[in-house]
Amino acid sequence: MDDKILIIMTSGPDTPRRCATPFFFATLAAAMEYEVTMFFTIDGTLLLKKGLAETVYPKAGGKPVSDFLKDAMEAGVKFTACTASTELHDLQPSDLIDGIKMVGGASMWQMSEDAKTTLTF
Amino acid sequence: MATVRGCNLPEDLYYFIDKHVWAKEAEGGAIRVGITSVAAKLSGGKLAAITVKAKSIGQEVKQGKSVATVESSKFVGPVPAPVTGILIRANEKLASDPNIAIADPYGEGWIAEMKPVNWDADKGSLATGADGVAKYQAKLDAENISCS
Repeated sequence: MDDKILIIMTSGPDTPRRCATPFFFATLAAAMEYEVTMFFTIDGTLLLKKGLAETVYPKAGGKPVSDFLKDAMEAGVKFTACTASTELHDLQPSDLIDGIKMVGGASMWQMSEDAKTTLTF
Repeated sequence: MATVRGCNLPEDLYYFIDKHVWAKEAEGGAIRVGITSVAAKLSGGKLAAITVKAKSIGQEVKQGKSVATVESSKFVGPVPAPVTGILIRANEKLASDPNIAIADPYGEGWIAEMKPVNWDADKGSLATGADGVAKYQAKLDAENISCS
């Protein structure tokens, strides 16, 4: 592993076309041996709700967001979600898929400082 | 030249079977690295890019670590190094047409060259010859992969 990358995901099911590329870029970065963390906040957190990503299609007739998400997880991308954003959507941490670390906003700042590159979608 | 389940798998290459990568001795003690016809099939048959990480050239890459990435609309993943060695150079032709790696995976479509740290030791961990092709076939049979 060399450098760290942080991808902040704010887009959600209202904008399906914005929901594949962030995962794709995360998977790609992991394949390049970067240490990759995704931080989900605002509407991005909704994509982590159990069963929801399976219903969001960036392209009609294409793969659902859940496929892109799974690829990223399998490539070793770490998933973190903003605690406050779950409150925004009346979600409990238990409503989210497995493998998500709940963190506060201050963690996002620390991850951003540690990362060589931060991308926001 | 052997064809297994529709996949062309020459016997004179050294296969890193789990990763669908091949290695072959090249000039000056280097080895050439590429993806197999199986990887070409699994990637969906049409690539958007093959990229060797420029920063890694001149650096040692451990066996199993990424020397390049393959992107298609269906797939994104690493090309893991079949041996531990210094990454010497990338195949510049792939920048303009990554699909050479699918059309001619063992020839013009090679991906990178490496200077192995210990080729004699590492090649023992790779599959080659008729026996190597048979091992590759066993994997394809087990995972029900075919190229046709």
